[in-house]
Amino acid sequence: MSFNSKTNKGRRQVRRKVQDSKQLSITSLLDVLTIILVFLIKNVSMEAVKISELPDMIYPTTMSTDKLMENAMVTPVKLYMHKVLLGVENLTLGTPKDIVENQETRRIMEAFFLTDYDAIPEDKKREACLVVQADAQLPCGYITQIVSVGTSVGYENIYFATLEEADWLRTYSSASSQ
Amino acid sequence: MAGYRRPYRPSEARQQKGQTAPQEPDLVPIMNLFLTIIPFLMMMITISVSLMALNFASDAGGGAGGSGGGGGNQDKILEIHLMLRQSESLELFPGMEIREPGSTIHKLPWLSENVYDFHSLNDLLARLKEKYSETTEIAVVVHPDVLYDTLIRTIDLCKTNGFVTVHYRSPQAMYAY
Repeated sequence: MSFNSKTNKGRRQVRRKVQDSKQLSITSLLDVLTIILVFLIKNVSMEAVKISELPDMIYPTTMSTDKLMENAMVTPVKLYMHKVLLGVENLTLGTPKDIVENQETRRIMEAFFLTDYDAIPEDKKREACLVVQADAQLPCGYITQIVSVGTSVGYENIYFATLEEADWLRTYSSASSQ
Repeated sequence: MAGYRRPYRPSEARQQKGQTAPQEPDLVPIMNLFLTIIPFLMMMITISVSLMALNFASDAGGGAGGSGGGGGNQDKILEIHLMLRQSESLELFPGMEIREPGSTIHKLPWLSENVYDFHSLNDLLARLKEKYSETTEIAVVVHPDVLYDTLIRTIDLCKTNGFVTVHYRSPQAMYAY
């Protein structure tokens, strides 16, 4: 009797005592996710949340950027075309026009800045930052008022939020020549 | 038979269980948690990276130039005036005016409505930096009606050309149109 290698006849069947588990092993995936999670938690700080990009605001673009001071005490101010929001709590102050024309609005803004500034510990007052997030199409008169009130309260560091664009000058030139 | 004692050994009952597959901890709830947290954290990372801050030394004390800021003799630093309105009597024109500490004034009128000549400003600032290589200070005098975008672009060009300490000023005299 010749042995036919193409057929399974005569091949020994091995039966396992323990059946293979059909579940997908997710341990390696869990390891990767743990590493990513640790990395992300390290990089996400509360200050970043305070100056997060607002979807309904058009930011000006800049080539040069500065990093926010480490452990800075941040007071954000958001200036839209039609409203002004103060602090992390986004308290509505009024319209940008009110800042210039209404003395009471300016007084409220000053009181808010003062409260925020006074809450900062004495040894960290030099690191107090006022972060202005304003719409690119807003007249500078409103920005001047914010800066003026901020500096009068005691903020030594005033930041303007922008979006980084390395070659805006080239784009701007081509746009202006059209 | 007297004297025969069975040798000590673990209970036979414990050995009688049938062999089963090794038990793995249930990682599915942990995975669910991670997969929920990670997109949220990644979203926050993306936002914080795309948003940058531009800081500057401010001395806008409410319109009159003010004091403080970066220090130094601020009367003898370069000034960039950003203007929007046209006024013959007040010598205002839409565009930029760069004043050197002496008496030299460079005028850069805007190219079209709200399109400032930033290319010429960039070239001029590069030349001025060579001339005043020892100073890093510059003042930007911005009129109230100039757009915020124009101000930021001007400060940006100052910084990229080596004038890293930018003073923010508003015009010393108020004017009526």
